[in-house]
Amino acid sequence: MTQLADLDSALAETAPLPRANGELVFDEPWQGRALGMGIVALESAGISLVEFSPFLAEAVARHGYDPAEPAAAAYYTAWLDALETCLAGRGLPGVVG
Amino acid sequence: MTHDHDHDHDHDEHHHHHHPQEKSATELRVEALEALLAEKGLVSGEAIDAVVSYYENDVGPQNGARVVARAWADPTYKERLLADGTAAVKEFGFTGFELNTLVAVENTPKVHNVVVCTLCSCYPWPVLGLPPTWYKSAPYRARVVSEPRAVLREFGLELPAEVDLRVWDSTAEVRYLVVPERPDGTNGWSEEELARLVPRDAMIGTARALEPSV
Repeated sequence: MTQLADLDSALAETAPLPRANGELVFDEPWQGRALGMGIVALESAGISLVEFSPFLAEAVARHGYDPAEPAAAAYYTAWLDALETCLAGRGLPGVVG
Repeated sequence: MTHDHDHDHDHDEHHHHHHPQEKSATELRVEALEALLAEKGLVSGEAIDAVVSYYENDVGPQNGARVVARAWADPTYKERLLADGTAAVKEFGFTGFELNTLVAVENTPKVHNVVVCTLCSCYPWPVLGLPPTWYKSAPYRARVVSEPRAVLREFGLELPAEVDLRVWDSTAEVRYLVVPERPDGTNGWSEEELARLVPRDAMIGTARALEPSV
């Protein structure tokens, strides 16, 4: 299974996981689910985290920053966008929809 | 199920058109995507459950255990670890400390180290994962400083009076990793085998490493 340290090192520069005092932040259950689903799907599709990270960085940037939106909700929404785009680019059409 | 059940009980005029479990658009989106990925054979509910549980609960301690095991197995690594913890754990790819310094402190027959964060719950998460609830509790944070031996006794750790007890107070900048004493009877063990003897609490200093089971 993809370890947290792998995830951290792949994403640290571009789109680090949301944390508070070092702890991963999941404000709502769907956020953990989105993370887990992404990790499993990327592994199955043979897409490395390093390949995935630019999609995530781009999605985070596109999502933008709204002080009213909790950081974890913004991040994991962008995570879903990135996952869909990345998988669609791998010939898994129907993923985006 | 519990929620449905409760809901049935108070399903009266106040609740006719209200669905307490109504899902947000994002929740529906996550469900739909999961269903689609499952249909394509990329994910299964069980595989996702395992990952989610790892990331929500178990992440970490095994990273620290690998560091300790290497320090036990390789004296030169231990030297590097004690000299510069941040750099030494980076050799494993464990990074992401919020600009802070990781200091490794070694237990010996004469010295026992225990870690606390008296102010909040600073903790070396990339190596130890999420802190246990007791670590964040006010009684632990206060008492491990005022009466550390009594606190350790409550954890089942009785220290001989002659052992020098050192309490390290973490901050946002400096966090600590305890390198417990290597158990006897582990000569020639691989790092992987050794790592299984290093529970989380041994790296906080509220427990010893496990004895090898015969």
